[in-house]
Amino acid sequence: MSLLLPIPAVQALQPLTILVAAPGISGVIAKLEARLQGRRGPRILQPYYDLAKLFAKESLAPAGVNAWFLAAPIVAMACYLTVPLLIPVLTTFGLPWGYMGDILGGGFVLSLGSFVVAVAALQTGGPYAQLGASRSKTFAAITEPVVLFVVFSVALVTGTDLPYALAATVRSSASQIVRPAHLLAAGALFLVILYETGRIPVETHTGTNEFGMIEEARSFEHSGPYLALLKWGSACKQLVLYTLLINVFLAPWGLASSAAIGSVALAIVTLVGKALVVGAAVAVIDDSFAKLRLFKITDFVSAAFLLSVVAVFTLYLGGG
Amino acid sequence: MQPVPGVFEGSANVVAVLVLLAEFGMLRQAVLRDQVRLYALQSLVVSALAAIVAAGRDVPELYALAGLSLALKVVIVPLVVTRLLRDTSEEIAGSGTLGVATSVLVSIVVAGFGFFAVGALGIHSRVLPTTALSLSIAVVLVAFVLMIVRRDVVSQAIGFFSLENGVSLASLVVAAGLPLILEVAFLFDLLVAVVVFGVLMRVHHGRTSSLSTSALTRLRG
Amino acid sequence: MHIVLLALLIVPVVAAGLSVAPYRIARVATVVAGAASFVLAVCLVPTVAGHTIRFGFLRVDAISMVFLLATSFVYATVAVYAIGYLRDEQDEPHFDRYSRRFFLGFNVFAASMLWAPAVDGLALLWIAIEITTVVSALLVAIDRTDGATEASWKYVLIASAGLGIALLATIFLYYAGASVLGQSYDLSFSPLLAAAGRLPDTAVRLSFVLAVLGFGTKVGLVPVHTWLPDAHAEAPTPVSALLSGALLATSFYAVLRYFQVASAALGHTFPQMVLLVFGVASLLLASLYLLQQRNIKRMLAYSSIEHMGILAIAVSFGAPLALAGAMLHVLAHAAAKGNAFMGAGTLVQKFGTKQISGIRGGMNVLPFSAPAFLLVILALSALPPFGIFRSEFLIVAGGLRGGSHTMTALLVVLVTLAFLGLAVGVTRMVVSPSPSGAAVARGELNVWMVVPVAIGLVALAVLGIHPPGELSTLIDRAVAELTRVGR
Repeated sequence: MSLLLPIPAVQALQPLTILVAAPGISGVIAKLEARLQGRRGPRILQPYYDLAKLFAKESLAPAGVNAWFLAAPIVAMACYLTVPLLIPVLTTFGLPWGYMGDILGGGFVLSLGSFVVAVAALQTGGPYAQLGASRSKTFAAITEPVVLFVVFSVALVTGTDLPYALAATVRSSASQIVRPAHLLAAGALFLVILYETGRIPVETHTGTNEFGMIEEARSFEHSGPYLALLKWGSACKQLVLYTLLINVFLAPWGLASSAAIGSVALAIVTLVGKALVVGAAVAVIDDSFAKLRLFKITDFVSAAFLLSVVAVFTLYLGGG
Repeated sequence: MQPVPGVFEGSANVVAVLVLLAEFGMLRQAVLRDQVRLYALQSLVVSALAAIVAAGRDVPELYALAGLSLALKVVIVPLVVTRLLRDTSEEIAGSGTLGVATSVLVSIVVAGFGFFAVGALGIHSRVLPTTALSLSIAVVLVAFVLMIVRRDVVSQAIGFFSLENGVSLASLVVAAGLPLILEVAFLFDLLVAVVVFGVLMRVHHGRTSSLSTSALTRLRG
Repeated sequence: MHIVLLALLIVPVVAAGLSVAPYRIARVATVVAGAASFVLAVCLVPTVAGHTIRFGFLRVDAISMVFLLATSFVYATVAVYAIGYLRDEQDEPHFDRYSRRFFLGFNVFAASMLWAPAVDGLALLWIAIEITTVVSALLVAIDRTDGATEASWKYVLIASAGLGIALLATIFLYYAGASVLGQSYDLSFSPLLAAAGRLPDTAVRLSFVLAVLGFGTKVGLVPVHTWLPDAHAEAPTPVSALLSGALLATSFYAVLRYFQVASAALGHTFPQMVLLVFGVASLLLASLYLLQQRNIKRMLAYSSIEHMGILAIAVSFGAPLALAGAMLHVLAHAAAKGNAFMGAGTLVQKFGTKQISGIRGGMNVLPFSAPAFLLVILALSALPPFGIFRSEFLIVAGGLRGGSHTMTALLVVLVTLAFLGLAVGVTRMVVSPSPSGAAVARGELNVWMVVPVAIGLVALAVLGIHPPGELSTLIDRAVAELTRVGR
């Protein structure tokens, strides 16, 4: 009889895992990318050092901004950490707060986070920050229908849009995994994730090319601990999205089916392992494609849209 | 809620979806060489599906068909077209009548129409699920869009060849028992058509020194 | 009779084989093959009028026979004409290569068009028609002018896409038949027609619509006719004549076969409705376009669309009289349209332009060809005493008897409109005096281009005044086959 963790503790472990593991995942991706390009690359722990360094620095705010500018990184971080409460990060069974919101709710909270950052960037008067803010909102408007379609196909598969229910359906039989609707929706979600996390072919996330920047440009005017929070926040967002993809769509296995301490620990390890696999895939894509011109991003999004629409078609019209 | 199809049907559907996605890929692809590669990929997927049906539904003739269509559509047709491309040293298709995103949206609508139309017919086969049939009709319709919006001979020819892939897919669903001799005759016909398309593309290139069809506006009325 | 049928189908293939020989041999072979195939086809008529010939994968019933006759007649006359047509180019530098390709394509094209009505089964039929497409596309491109390149590309692309749809139709019909005839069968006509009454409705319906759309592309039914005027106008004249006189009819034969199966399976109403819609659209559009044509060959091409529309409408009337008219119309149109293209080709070669405005005073320049051309055009417009008058009269009578009064009236109005367009253009070319100072010498081009036109006129007159008794028996039998209903 292994030791059972109290349910609230498991609940707390979900955002905590994300919080702690997120910079590490980013570090591995950066390292892998560098190795694929033939460079040695930064240490895997580099993002943690960066955060520590930034937290130790003083922070400056541009003249004329109000308290919102300073509050935004904290609010965004809070948003990104709320979502892990709603999705199956560690357990197969729904935790008490897991039913607070469905996939749509999670999506809203994520977009709220990025909205807050965009508003803060708008206050600064810095041209690049404003450019990034306006671009990220423009493109968000065209990725949103894709996300909605993904949610619809999920809802059609399961009859509900709770992430836990979907993961359970996928686990239930092999025929659920091979149905085209499921695979297509997962594919569309993956493309959306590439967009949301600012990866090639949408954006060079490590680059210094301001003209092509979308998400990265928004934090130009923040500094010190605030900048650290923003960076940490986007790493968390990335891991949250990866978790959504793997634990809901692609591989909802290895989750803890009880609150036993051993299985929860195992779930943490498998989560990190699976996220690393996804990260590796992203790194390979990063290295094998060129960044799209800004105006071609609609083409990229139309591909994701296509996948999700076909998913709904096959599901609704053929039971596939 | 509709019943969940079994693993065989599900996998077959996924393969059929890949055919449709390859078709969309061709619609989006501006680099002609890659378009030809996508066509080869699509043909490969169709041949694979024929082999899957042969194994799963115990129709041994389909193995022969899969092999033949592999040889013809994955090897010969792309070879013919790539050789033409090498000789003409043109790589990128001129812009089509519509932008990429618009033509994808149009094709989505068209494919949706195909889906609905076939779904409404209530045609069922014991070999493959109806979804595969809907998908094949969608492939045919998107191939039409491809032929219409592109303005170069290679893309238009590829559009026609992939239309034929869509028809092959449909025939796997509703006519898997078609005698092998007829299937072979169909494929042979396609081979002849490929040769003729190749000749005419060369004639066109020799005449206009380009692959674009935008100059073909002399005959009207 | 099997030997005769086989000979009919093999003779053009042999001629195609001989086409690679020097020009002298090739042209003799082609003319002989053309004449032989027509004679052989005529020999088959009495037998087929009695019973259907079945032999291996061949099957010739009365319907096929009508189309075989039409094709072989056009083949025979045009083969002679082609010699005269090519004489002009005999001194060109690459004439050897050109003529080899031309005769090879010409004979293979004719062979494929003869095979199409003779094979047994919808799948083989599709294959034969696809072969006609690819061969004729190469023939359209053979001149390598800008116009020919454009026309051939449009033709091969549109027609192939249409045949892709026709292949879908074949497959769906196969699916329909599989529920009755078992999972593996070969789509041959007799079992299919026998089982037609038990075929599932939806699949047959779908298949029929797809077939009309798909094969209709090659027939030239509006709105899938767009390649037709281009290809007819830009191809060398002998090819245009074959395209218009024989190929369109051969494709219509495929539509007719699907009509036969569909009306046996579904009853007459639905298939007739579909053909009526396509037929009226073709007739309407073609007769309007005929009013404003400036290119002589395009004008004839639109006239072909018009006549295919008439055929579709005739079949849609469904009355035996109208169907008999349709069968006769196939023959008469083949003779008349092949002839008209040959006449037009003579004018074009003499005056050196395809523009109607550039051809004036034909009567003075070409003492036989020009009046003959005028006569053929009048025949095409259904003036007595020619065959088309008889066939259209039968169609109209059949329409009235079948109760489709409005449609019959519309048919008559539109045909008259088409007559107006044709007559105005052609009288200008033939009768109006040549402008002073025109330097076109008087005299026929050569005898090869005169004889086939004369033969065609005689044939048209025979069909109009008194069709041979055996032909009437054949047509009656074809009508009986078409009106047989399974349910």
